[in-house]
Amino acid sequence: MIRTAGLTKHFGRITAVEDVGLDVREGDIYGFLGANGSGKTTTVRMLLGLVLATSGTIELLGRPMPASGRDVLPLVGAMVEGPASYPQLSGRTNLALLDASGPGGDRATRAGRIDDALGQVGLDGVDKRPVRAYSLGMRQRLGLAAALLRRPRLLVLDEPTNGLDPQGIREIRQLLVDLNRDGTTVFLSSHLLAEIEQMCTRVGVLDRGRLVLQDQLEHLQRPTGRTVIRTPDVGAARALLDGHVEQEEGETIWVRADDPLALNAALVGADVRVLELAPERRTLEDVVLEAAEQSGDRR
Amino acid sequence: MIAVELRKLVLSRRTWVTILLIDALPTLVGILLAVTDIGPRPGTGPAFLSAVLTDGTLFPLAALGIVLPLFLPIAVAVTAGEAIAGEAQQGTLRYLLVRPVGRTRLLVAKLVSVMVFVVLTVLVVAATAYVLGALLLGSESVSTGATSVSGTGLSTQEMVLRTLLALAYAMLCMLGVAAIALFLSTVVRAPLSAALGTMGVLVASTLLLTLDAAHVLQPYLPTRYWLAFVDLFRDPILWRDVERGVLLQAAYVVVFLGAAWANFMTKDVTD
Amino acid sequence: MTSFNRWCVAALLTLLVIAVPAALHALPARDSDIGASDLLERVRTAEDHPWSGYVQTQGALALPVAEDFADVGALFSDDLRMRAWWRGSDDWRVDRLLVSGETDLVHQHGVTIEWSYERDRATISRDPDIRLPRAADVVPPVLTERLLRDVSSDDVRRIPARRVAGISAPGLRVEPSAPQSSIDHVDLWADPGSGVPLRVDVYAEDADSPSFVTELRDFSASRPAPSTTTFDGADGIDVEHDDVLDIADAANQYAPLRPPSTVGGLDMSSASDGAVGVYGVGITQLIAIPLRGREARPLREQLRQTPDVATSADDTLVTAGPVGVLLTGAADDGGWLITGTVTAETLRQAAIDLARGTTYVGEVG
Repeated sequence: MIRTAGLTKHFGRITAVEDVGLDVREGDIYGFLGANGSGKTTTVRMLLGLVLATSGTIELLGRPMPASGRDVLPLVGAMVEGPASYPQLSGRTNLALLDASGPGGDRATRAGRIDDALGQVGLDGVDKRPVRAYSLGMRQRLGLAAALLRRPRLLVLDEPTNGLDPQGIREIRQLLVDLNRDGTTVFLSSHLLAEIEQMCTRVGVLDRGRLVLQDQLEHLQRPTGRTVIRTPDVGAARALLDGHVEQEEGETIWVRADDPLALNAALVGADVRVLELAPERRTLEDVVLEAAEQSGDRR
Repeated sequence: MIAVELRKLVLSRRTWVTILLIDALPTLVGILLAVTDIGPRPGTGPAFLSAVLTDGTLFPLAALGIVLPLFLPIAVAVTAGEAIAGEAQQGTLRYLLVRPVGRTRLLVAKLVSVMVFVVLTVLVVAATAYVLGALLLGSESVSTGATSVSGTGLSTQEMVLRTLLALAYAMLCMLGVAAIALFLSTVVRAPLSAALGTMGVLVASTLLLTLDAAHVLQPYLPTRYWLAFVDLFRDPILWRDVERGVLLQAAYVVVFLGAAWANFMTKDVTD
Repeated sequence: MTSFNRWCVAALLTLLVIAVPAALHALPARDSDIGASDLLERVRTAEDHPWSGYVQTQGALALPVAEDFADVGALFSDDLRMRAWWRGSDDWRVDRLLVSGETDLVHQHGVTIEWSYERDRATISRDPDIRLPRAADVVPPVLTERLLRDVSSDDVRRIPARRVAGISAPGLRVEPSAPQSSIDHVDLWADPGSGVPLRVDVYAEDADSPSFVTELRDFSASRPAPSTTTFDGADGIDVEHDDVLDIADAANQYAPLRPPSTVGGLDMSSASDGAVGVYGVGITQLIAIPLRGREARPLREQLRQTPDVATSADDTLVTAGPVGVLLTGAADDGGWLITGTVTAETLRQAAIDLARGTTYVGEVG
């Protein structure tokens, strides 16, 4: 759905993005992770043809960008760096104007599509009020509604949960998961690890303008080969698993063991009381920090 | 896209407030003239203003002469200065371009929308002035017909036709202002800068027109032929300056719309 | 298209828009091989040729502008825009165009109607023999007619042609032979077809640029329709009859004086029949007008504020390009206003001659 090669952007003498090769596949919820200032937004803008790449190529839905923008962009819903609308007009009018200004917004179905989109983002209650009077969260939802208006095949969302309360964040997350289940590819850029970890199937990490990591989330979170055990009988456990304990911290011990099931059976058989027992997985945070360090070393 | 821009224009409260403000000045002048009956001395003041005391049907023209040199161009500079920079500042520009709206198409739609604003303003001013003139000011022409600048009589039909021509010409004169402001709007970040820049150009143009040393420049100055609408009321009509005025405005549109296009097509939209 | 290419297109468009009118303007004039005396003859025979067009003058003379002389001063110090239709010397119309109005002169059968839009008034007057210059006197054909009055073929030579009103017009330089003249030379260019002068440049002594230029910017040599030179006033406009056209006419009719027949070495012209003396001819001419105290006073004050004024106990002298203005008398006195395209010495001599030779007659009119 999105494929870039050697994507580079200089602003004057500053290099914002360098040699980025994104690969977003159909059906992904792609998490595009990076700190503020890492070049995320510039990359997103390049994908959408707002900023022109200094060098490199971009393919959106199999077509080159920005050359094919007129054909491709109607199939893409986007939210870039926060929502924006005409503050003196109502949300509904804003959506209608935006829909009418470009191709692919069928007039006959417009009112229905606006109702649907407002419903999807939980804004069906509000009406007539000008956007000026909206809260931050409502504007965010309106921006999402604008992106959803033409039931796009690809959603490109930059920090979509900004300004939402926890309840709102969960609603939006659920909405995106539902949309993805119905076939929409989602490209989600965020600086929040947790958000990406909870939702995404595939992750790309941008650090200082370079793509330092890109993989399926489950590959990144593969087991480390250790098992984490919490037990009040730390001493008994240590005695039983002698030599395999790699780390100990209060009631928690890390054990190198191939088979957690066998380990559990052995502990229970030895009357060691087990509170918790699980194979250890790497967290996304570890992965990201590690990748960033490595790329920093390479420089 | 043009239709969308026009809807935005009509839906914006600011459009109407601006038009009302512009309309307020000639209305005030008209009321003052009617109440005090003191006209400007012959040969001074805006065109046609000294004549309206005897002939109220000339007041739409006098009103045009009042708003054309300053009020209307300022309003146009502000409105056209908003065109791109305003959308960018509001953040809506990126959503329009992603929608996608072609950049050239957006520029043209913005220019058209500004010109529609001009047409609306001029028509509102003329209509108000006509009503005011007919109600409050002299009504000599009702009995005797209007007098041309050359002293000959003009039938009501001719008068209406020439007035419409003058209104159209005044509208056209704003094209150059709109094109300059639109270009600046693609260059600067703040809409106010674009408006101020345009006004700077106009002030400079007005100043250079009074300077003999700037003689070679004068035919190219945007405000050079603005007052040529008076020539439409000479008998026979003097087309010379009106023709030049039309060509000059066309040249400004070509040059500045071209520059706006050259600048905006590959501009990185980072707002 | 890359950004660079687009800017090239925009720059090219700009260049085109500026260059096309400039190129049309700078189109070289085709010269003709007509000789100086032939051209002079051609222009002279075209004196009553019909024409119409748009005239623009550039006056660089800083002339004092006082009440009675305001219009004359403006004639040579402002840039005038005029439209003219000329069917013959007794059937013409010259409109002086103002930004928000106009002043028209319509002349037929010895009667001139002046229509002023600003004053909303038409004034009818017969043309007196003696009067101050008016707008219709500075359109190129009329001015040329005056300038060429005593010019012989020895005083002229050819200069390169010039493009005027889109026409390649052969040029002629006139250098006055009279020593009294303050004009160094006059350049004129005439329509090769009709012989009608299209542009006149007047140069003062020692001047690099012309003091006065009058030029037809649009020109047609065909006879204008009769309707163009008829004043068809609208109903309801004020019409006045004026027995006295201007201050020169008034002084000429009513002042109880008769000036001498020669002043400053110039002979009185045949036009003089009253108190005002016109001396010399063509390019070297002066007019002497007797003024009363209340007319002379404001003029004297104006003259004194002019930068190049020379004031003495009994006169005030201003020279502006080729035009000299001398007002005799001091303080609140009346005096002679002597003005023309002559040197300061000639003006001073004329003042002396007038003081000596003027005779008083009984009250006239």
